[in-house]
Amino acid sequence: MGVPYIPVIGLVGTDLLKRRDDMVLAPDPFDGKTVSVVARAMRPDVAVFHVDKADRAGNVSCGYPVEAVILAEASHHVIVTAEEVVDRLDEKDAIGTFVPSILVDTVVHAPFGSHPAGMTGRYGPDKSHMKQYVEASCDDASFAAYLKTYVFDIGSHADYVEHFVPRELQQPGRAT
Amino acid sequence: MSGSPNYSESELMAVLMAREVRDGEVSACGALSQIPATGLLLAKELHAPDAELIILNTVFRPFHTSRQFHFLAQRGELGLFFVSGVQIDGHGNYNLHQLGTDPERPEVRFPGGYGGGMIYYCARRTVVFRSEHTRRSLVERVDFISAAGSSPDNVLRLGNPSKLITPKASLRFDTAKGRLLLDTIHPTHTMDEIRENTGFDLGVTGAVATTPAPTAEELRVLRSVVRPKMIETGTYAAWAERALGSG
Repeated sequence: MGVPYIPVIGLVGTDLLKRRDDMVLAPDPFDGKTVSVVARAMRPDVAVFHVDKADRAGNVSCGYPVEAVILAEASHHVIVTAEEVVDRLDEKDAIGTFVPSILVDTVVHAPFGSHPAGMTGRYGPDKSHMKQYVEASCDDASFAAYLKTYVFDIGSHADYVEHFVPRELQQPGRAT
Repeated sequence: MSGSPNYSESELMAVLMAREVRDGEVSACGALSQIPATGLLLAKELHAPDAELIILNTVFRPFHTSRQFHFLAQRGELGLFFVSGVQIDGHGNYNLHQLGTDPERPEVRFPGGYGGGMIYYCARRTVVFRSEHTRRSLVERVDFISAAGSSPDNVLRLGNPSKLITPKASLRFDTAKGRLLLDTIHPTHTMDEIRENTGFDLGVTGAVATTPAPTAEELRVLRSVVRPKMIETGTYAAWAERALGSG
């Protein structure tokens, strides 16, 4: 939207509001008295999101309806990771939300980029890996070990897929 | 008032929620809301054939994204919303965030309230529900206010809490007092039992009426129309199979 702030109905009286310095109370500028929350615009430096398909120019078909356009519009830089990269993608070919290339800076070909979560239309979640993730997240030491194994010690995305994405998820037609 | 009732707690609560739905209005419930989903579908079969239902994350949702739902609520077009909280207090506040007295070091954290702090202001009426009526769930002050029951007069607000429904009683929200007050006690439960299990003052000054029990017709439609519909459409199907009678 590009506006510096926007009114939000609600939140007054919550403990949520006490913890946010980007939301304040302000009077309606037209009647001068009705008060509501005003939230400062969010302008992320970088947005990264994973999609179904992208083309070489940066046009994106998300694969399902999702709030990706507003995220791409708000962010200064947009990096898209895609299950599949094609030469040319028109808006009419898009499944779900379409993000035009003018909003996208970089496309990365990353099959199974949602793993261990699933990707609608392509593969389901890796439940045993998710369970392992939840267990690892219970304390700092086990989570550091998780990151070492699955992030820092991995040379490339292809290595990750090779080692950690179960073969059965890699079979076509396993989508949920 | 003796003997055990011919309905379960879930069935009772679903029937009471159905009675809150008005024909022609837009009524909604959030994720993980089996009982309100049942109540909404029941109301549509009974007295509210032209009610518009939004049951998030099921086939009964007109929108693909949460933004559309939020904007509908902000426009003041949401008549009724059902919401639950881990804790609910006598001031009509609910907590879906965390437990513990020090907000910086919570003992337990929950997923949070999604847009609850905003929907509570936007829906014309919100019915809060809790499947557990105890002193740990119904408290004088919640540990963390995820959504506020009252607001100062000069604050923009489109709607208010209207009721709290539990397996034991219905409470109504008095907007002027900013308090939840005991409205009716469900059949087979007693005033002493409610008082013993509620962590706040119920504002009772005289006799309290008994909640009208689910009628034979309400139970028949619930079990023979709504339950199969939920199973068929994958709307909390496993829960419906287990929790609702198959009359």
